Amino acid sequence: MSASVPLRLESVSKSFGDVQALKPLSLHVRAGEMLALLGPSGCGKTTTLRIIAGFEMPETGSVFIGERDVTELPPNKRALGMVFQNYSLFPHMTVAENIAFGLKMRGVGAADRLARVRQMLGLVRLAQFEDRSVHQLSGGQQQRVALARSLVTDPAILLLDEPLGALDKNLRERMQFELREIQRRLGITSILVTHDQEEALTMSDRVAVMSEGEIVQIGTPTEVYERPRTRFVSEFLGTANIFEGIVKGEAGAGEWTVALDRGGEARLAGDSGLATGRRVSFAVRPERLRIGPPSGSALMAKVQDVVFRGSYYAYELVVAGQDEPVFIYTQSRATVPADGMVGLSWSAQSAILLGERPSP
Amino acid sequence: MASAPRGLVRRRARPNWAAWALGLYAALFLVFLLVPIVAVVWVSFSSASFITFPLPGYSLRWYARILEYKPFIDSLIVSIEVAVGSAILGAALGVPAALWAARSRSAAAALVANLLLAPISVPAIVLGFSLLYLLSAMGFGISLTALLITHTVVAIPYVARTALAVYRSLPPDFEEAAAVLGASRTQTLVHVTLPLIRPGIFAGGLFAILISLDNLPLSFFFGSSATNTLPVIMLSYMQNQFDPSIAAVSTVQMLIAVATLLVVNTLYGIEKFTAA
Amino acid sequence: MSSRALSEPAPPIRTRRSGRFRLARISWTWPALLFLAVFFVVPLGANVLRSVTGPETAAHGIFAYYTKLLTDAYYAGILIETFRVATVTTLVCLLVGYPVSYFMVRYAGRWNGLIVFCLIAPLLTSIIMRTFGWNVLFARRGLFNTWLVQSGLIDRPLDILNQPVMVYIGLVHVLAPFMVLSITSVLQGVDVRLEESARILGAGKIATFLRITLPLSLDGIATGCILVFVLTNGSFLTMLLLGGGKVTTLSLLIYQQFNLTQDVAFAAAMGNVLLLFALVCLALQARFVRREGVKQ
Repeated sequence: MSASVPLRLESVSKSFGDVQALKPLSLHVRAGEMLALLGPSGCGKTTTLRIIAGFEMPETGSVFIGERDVTELPPNKRALGMVFQNYSLFPHMTVAENIAFGLKMRGVGAADRLARVRQMLGLVRLAQFEDRSVHQLSGGQQQRVALARSLVTDPAILLLDEPLGALDKNLRERMQFELREIQRRLGITSILVTHDQEEALTMSDRVAVMSEGEIVQIGTPTEVYERPRTRFVSEFLGTANIFEGIVKGEAGAGEWTVALDRGGEARLAGDSGLATGRRVSFAVRPERLRIGPPSGSALMAKVQDVVFRGSYYAYELVVAGQDEPVFIYTQSRATVPADGMVGLSWSAQSAILLGERPSP
Repeated sequence: MASAPRGLVRRRARPNWAAWALGLYAALFLVFLLVPIVAVVWVSFSSASFITFPLPGYSLRWYARILEYKPFIDSLIVSIEVAVGSAILGAALGVPAALWAARSRSAAAALVANLLLAPISVPAIVLGFSLLYLLSAMGFGISLTALLITHTVVAIPYVARTALAVYRSLPPDFEEAAAVLGASRTQTLVHVTLPLIRPGIFAGGLFAILISLDNLPLSFFFGSSATNTLPVIMLSYMQNQFDPSIAAVSTVQMLIAVATLLVVNTLYGIEKFTAA
Repeated sequence: MSSRALSEPAPPIRTRRSGRFRLARISWTWPALLFLAVFFVVPLGANVLRSVTGPETAAHGIFAYYTKLLTDAYYAGILIETFRVATVTTLVCLLVGYPVSYFMVRYAGRWNGLIVFCLIAPLLTSIIMRTFGWNVLFARRGLFNTWLVQSGLIDRPLDILNQPVMVYIGLVHVLAPFMVLSITSVLQGVDVRLEESARILGAGKIATFLRITLPLSLDGIATGCILVFVLTNGSFLTMLLLGGGKVTTLSLLIYQQFNLTQDVAFAAAMGNVLLLFALVCLALQARFVRREGVKQ
């Protein structure tokens, strides 16, 4: 197995006609790391992947695999492995022929090919499927063949383009772990492109959240989930309730009191330098909000609906004078008075201060 | 809703008179299409040496006559040579160009695609007439080569049309996958692209063969004893005598065409040819 | 230019021509382009040249042949006849074919394959076979006359074969399938639920057809009509072999010029007019018909 190599993009940009698909973007993927490019469709994640693969030539900037500048190299000279969204298994070849394809193109002899193919089939636990036609395989099995096909040539970088998007939910969750396990075992530097935040958080070492052709935040899954820097990241990584208000003053060690636009007051834990009178917006995750009896400083809200979701209850509430509803997830059912009026509260630590950047 | 199945009244479906009338009409139309063809096949088994009804008897003598009358066999061989040769040449020229034109949205690609398809739209008599003078000037004269070139001009659009359609409907992912896996352009073409679009190319080629076999307006400009195709011979034969041997030859020719079309159908589906 | 470049800071990053990975290179088109240039474009071009440099152009100007074609009463009559034959054939094909298309799409079900096969059958036969077939049916001693005489309806056999109507029968027979298939492919894309919506909204069967189905199938009608029109213009064997030579159109005239009078320049001029007809029709099609669209 070859040693892991880093991947580096430097000021890479791309536009299609008048549309700037990618603003100059730099990215460093560490050796052996799995990095997720996460974002909605049209955010530039797929373009980034296609530039790394060599399907698109960037207008500016360079791509480095290890220390080698591969920007001008065609895809077949880049030593990559790639799992496509719909796997793109060659329909006119058997499972073994599909996996052996890359080796055959490199002129590896038939005997060596067979040995390597069998080894890969073992790795993805499909040993008995060697001579099957790819049409006879289930979605999950096709996915594994695609993975085996991409790994058999010992690529420097593994590219995963929405690799689990075509699978149903249960299978997807199982494959997330399986894929992750194989990637760790081989220590291969990998790029995962996905629009599924759960997939990105589960599988990757670091997540780069993209929006409108640029990376808006990059960090470990915990960092981007717990400390989203902008409203966009916060919203994209899961339902978040966004509150806005004005800082009233310091309320103790690193905590501030905020007068909410929606009425009531809230605590916000933040860094120093939150001047009194400054406008702030912050997010509170649904599982961090608490429902209590109406009280003086709590935010007043009316329960609209409650839905049992299997492992938790989801409450939908409306705050007076506000269009956007507030969502709360609780483990047990809360007591709600007949008129539905409750007070909302949260700990200062669970309020996440968001950046200045307005949401799109 | 588990109500008891009590007092169920079975209602007779209302007859759809419009459908029946349309169906009857369509059947009559199909009879109109088939009657002259069936009549020829029927007469080809006649024992009489001229057309008369009722048939005095049945025989295979007109099929035997095909084998006796040398120009029929000779011209059939020329026809098949020209048809197969022009289809192969047409594919060799048309397919690579179609591969380029299919995946580009540029004006140049549209121009190339239109040029590849253009010979279909030119009346065969105009094309045959014009080519006769050019090929004579170039020194090909009335030869098998000249005939082959002429039929290839018409074969290109038929092959290119299916190649364009099949290649456009083939997702680029397979080729991208091949490239990432280390295949060069040539390797990708040979191992991935061609195998995947082969049925379409084959079907287009067979269709070109069908067209060529019966392309009388194109062939008759190049008529000579060595280059007469079957339809040319049939035309001159029919203008001189009117016996059922023409019916027998026609039936054989039709059977060849039907067999070819059945192959096209299993490879590609007839209905796709009717869409354009 | 240079002064402007001096005043501007150097671009921080190099810009390159970006493109998408594509398998085929442009050089792959060269053999076909070369072949078609030499054996398709050049001969048609030479044809144009021939028509404006023939012997008569010396005396009557370069458009002598075209002038003759348009002004000479005989030739102008043939142009009009050509147009009339194509128009009548097209309209008859449309009227005859549309109900068949409608039946195929809405009611045929499992019979569809058989109908398609029957539609294609005439296209698989040679023009010689079809002509022979009409002879068998309509000759003086043919099936139809024999039956009429024997059943006592007529005394002497009718001369159907040498009437102009025979040309139309022959043309409709081989061209109507093109019309039916063109309309069918568009009609298939017309969602039956649109018709059902119209019915629910209170339209009767006929109103539904006239206001919903027919307008939505206009593309197929246009495609079919243009196709049949162009193909009729190009046919000359049907006119040569059927109707006793009573219908003379432009393509038949080209054949005669080539075979009998050998007036090459005049034949070339006629060919160009015929080609122009075809090009105008194709341009109309490209302009008015939403390409293939509905189904691929």
